[in-house]
Amino acid sequence: MSTVSMSMMKLGAVVSLALAAGCATSAYQRAGSSDDVASALGKTPGATATGRPENVTGRPLAFLALGGAKGPRLAAYDLSESRVLWTQPADIKSRVAVGTDIIVYGVADALVARDVSTGAERWRHPIGKDERLLGYDVDGKNVYLSVQEGGQHLHGGKASVRALEAKDGDARWRHEFASGNVGAPVSRGGLVAVPVASQYVTLLDGSDGAQLAQVLSNEEAATFVRALPEGLFFGSAGVFRLEPGTAAGSRKSSGYVKAKLPAFVRPVYWFDLYRPEQGDYSALDRNRILWRMTPAGDARFRDDLAFVHNYRFFFGFDARTGELKWAYNHPESEAVASAVVGDTIAFVSADGDVGALDARTGARTFSARLPGEVVRGATFDAEGWGPRGGAASTPPLGDTLTTIVWDPDRRFWDVKMFAIEELARQPGHGVTEQLIKVTEQQGLPPAVYQKAGEALIARKDGSAADLLARVLATHADYADGKSAPAVEILARAAGAMKATTAAPALVEHLKRPETPPAALTQIARALAAIGATDALPALHDFVTMYRADPLYDGDPTPLVAASEAMLALGGPAERQLLLYLAEESHTVEPLRVHLRRALAQTAGAEARLRAAAATADE
Amino acid sequence: MVVLISSGAAQAGKSAKTKKPAAEAKKEPPKLPAEKLAKVRDILLGDDEPGAIDAAKALGQSGASNAMDPLVDLLSVGGPPSRLEVAVEALGTLGDPRAIDALEVYAGNRSPDLRRRAIKSLAAIKDDRVVPPLIAALGDQAPDVRAAAADALAARKETKAAPRLLALVKRNDAGAAPALGLLATPELVPQLAELQGSVDDNVVASALGEYLKRDDVADPLRVDVVRTIGHLSGAAATTALVEYIATVPAKDDRASKKEAQKLIDEKGTVK
Repeated sequence: MSTVSMSMMKLGAVVSLALAAGCATSAYQRAGSSDDVASALGKTPGATATGRPENVTGRPLAFLALGGAKGPRLAAYDLSESRVLWTQPADIKSRVAVGTDIIVYGVADALVARDVSTGAERWRHPIGKDERLLGYDVDGKNVYLSVQEGGQHLHGGKASVRALEAKDGDARWRHEFASGNVGAPVSRGGLVAVPVASQYVTLLDGSDGAQLAQVLSNEEAATFVRALPEGLFFGSAGVFRLEPGTAAGSRKSSGYVKAKLPAFVRPVYWFDLYRPEQGDYSALDRNRILWRMTPAGDARFRDDLAFVHNYRFFFGFDARTGELKWAYNHPESEAVASAVVGDTIAFVSADGDVGALDARTGARTFSARLPGEVVRGATFDAEGWGPRGGAASTPPLGDTLTTIVWDPDRRFWDVKMFAIEELARQPGHGVTEQLIKVTEQQGLPPAVYQKAGEALIARKDGSAADLLARVLATHADYADGKSAPAVEILARAAGAMKATTAAPALVEHLKRPETPPAALTQIARALAAIGATDALPALHDFVTMYRADPLYDGDPTPLVAASEAMLALGGPAERQLLLYLAEESHTVEPLRVHLRRALAQTAGAEARLRAAAATADE
Repeated sequence: MVVLISSGAAQAGKSAKTKKPAAEAKKEPPKLPAEKLAKVRDILLGDDEPGAIDAAKALGQSGASNAMDPLVDLLSVGGPPSRLEVAVEALGTLGDPRAIDALEVYAGNRSPDLRRRAIKSLAAIKDDRVVPPLIAALGDQAPDVRAAAADALAARKETKAAPRLLALVKRNDAGAAPALGLLATPELVPQLAELQGSVDDNVVASALGEYLKRDDVADPLRVDVVRTIGHLSGAAATTALVEYIATVPAKDDRASKKEAQKLIDEKGTVK
């Protein structure tokens, strides 16, 4: 249907102009009115959360955009029976939206509707060459789409929301906007919400397209609107429940909520409806926050849980505290799509692994395969689906985190860093071993060693001293192609856990030329903390060998640390040597200054010790 | 300028003439008088840098049995790097096993140059205790240090160093190649030959070239090695063959020599 033919729509269609071009009155003058929003919510019939799928079959379905050697196809997969219901050739350009009898999706030049049960094409709504499909949604028996005519994307031209009959694609009404800066429509319970100019959400009556209210998002952009069984929501950095109290978009309102999540999480609560490219299945589907809300009252994540889908990993967090509740590591391939469908997180991987996780525990509760398929994306219509098969028990969180840390996929360092951080919170000797193992690995980003090391230091787990000593026993060797472990951080850990057994290995690193100055400093401090008097000869050699080396003229920290250790561990002989070095003209000046001060500060204690010893002898 | 050897050597020689047979006197090193030793120690540890360097050199050249003591004293309290370098070298010249511990410490110095000198000095000491640090130095990050250790181990015919030398050659370490050639067992030669293609041909040629020159290699195996070298590209391959022929007496008509000559001629023809 062309734009011309669309102007010849059935007479039932209502064209409501939000604003005539050039009108002096602002189109948004009543934006933010809580009365208007209350009235709009009251006027429309609303939706009831049925706890079951939207589609007429009543079965939990996944609509899969397939690729691979068999070409682009669309398949409907029955999750309850683990079988493909139908497959149709389809070059999908934007994601599937599911209605009662039909599904719709975008192709290059049209919006296509197919029968939910058979996959047969029902109708096709063409998008003209001078038109731009901004997005669409299905609400039961109605289809709504935003189209921009003329101009550039979001600039110039005019946008409209068009309502079509789901059964045959016939036009019902059309709502014109003053500008082209409009996002994809979202509908629920007879209300159509349209993001406008990044800051507004215009509410239209689904029955005739009349504007009912406008939400003004004052404090953060409203890049998304999302329809869920529990209500309509909008926001960007957080989530507003659409209600009179959030009509002006105040984040202080009880209708606003934002999950507390770790830094690695990409803060995407929903797709940006102003960006048609996000309307297609993309990397964004694989890296975002998954959430559901309580059905009424203050905005609050259901069960206070927010979930993170990060390619191959899923995490469940306490949204209020950020506490990690569970983690799931999907083996080998990425999950390309996911959705919270009640108490279950449904997902499908790129290689056709269909799965489900218990949203409260992260336990794998469903597993099925689509052999030989390449899945590009998926839309789930599976509300209430709750498979109870799969894993008999949830593996301990520490075990899952360990698998993430050691996952061979080298792309996910941010996730692995997070896993290390969380692993460190877990109790047990095994965790300490894992952290030490991380520091032993070659070729990790420095921040990973740092993170593992800091966790090790904080644990002060003396039971791992022998393991620490074993790791420290590794040295760099060019012939063997070996590098030294993260000596600096391991030395700090050894000092913190008073790892006596690690002292000999620390001494060896003190002697080696490749040990970095920062590590030398930590070794000396650790030896002092451990009370490793056997290390005195090595400390002696280190201080004397370099005390006149101009290399340490600028930063004598390692020498200072080693001389401090000698003072702490040694006796009169060490003191005498240091006295000599403090006065010897070739000793680098910063070390001399330090030694004089340190010796003076400890002179009193030394004298007292001597006096006490003399008294004892008498 | 510090002169030590004249008085010490003269004294030692004098006493030898009067008290011991000549052959025995040669073996007994001279000894520096205590007074002189104390004076040299003061210079070594003093502020006069050129004087200290000269003193260290003189101690090394003295060959005196007690010359090691002040040098080890210097290394024990430390000093400017240039002074330490000379002291380390002097200890090598003296070759006194009692200096092994001090030299081992300096074989771990941060300065590659000082490490290299310490390795060379250790190598000069005729004592088996130097072998482990020399083998360990094959893992040094500095090529010069590794090469010094490799040469020292080859000179000492330490065949147990061969596996580590092979590991270095596999990493294209040119400095290890000649030593590997000198120490490789017949069993190791095929492994060396198989490196062709994965390691620089010049490195392989250098190792096999040294192997060829050894007296303890059977000629049939030499022929195989010559042929392997013949397949290698680069100047080092030709040089290895030419040098091999040069080491064989003119009257010696062994098969490997003929084969080497043939391959050189062929290479010339190809040019």
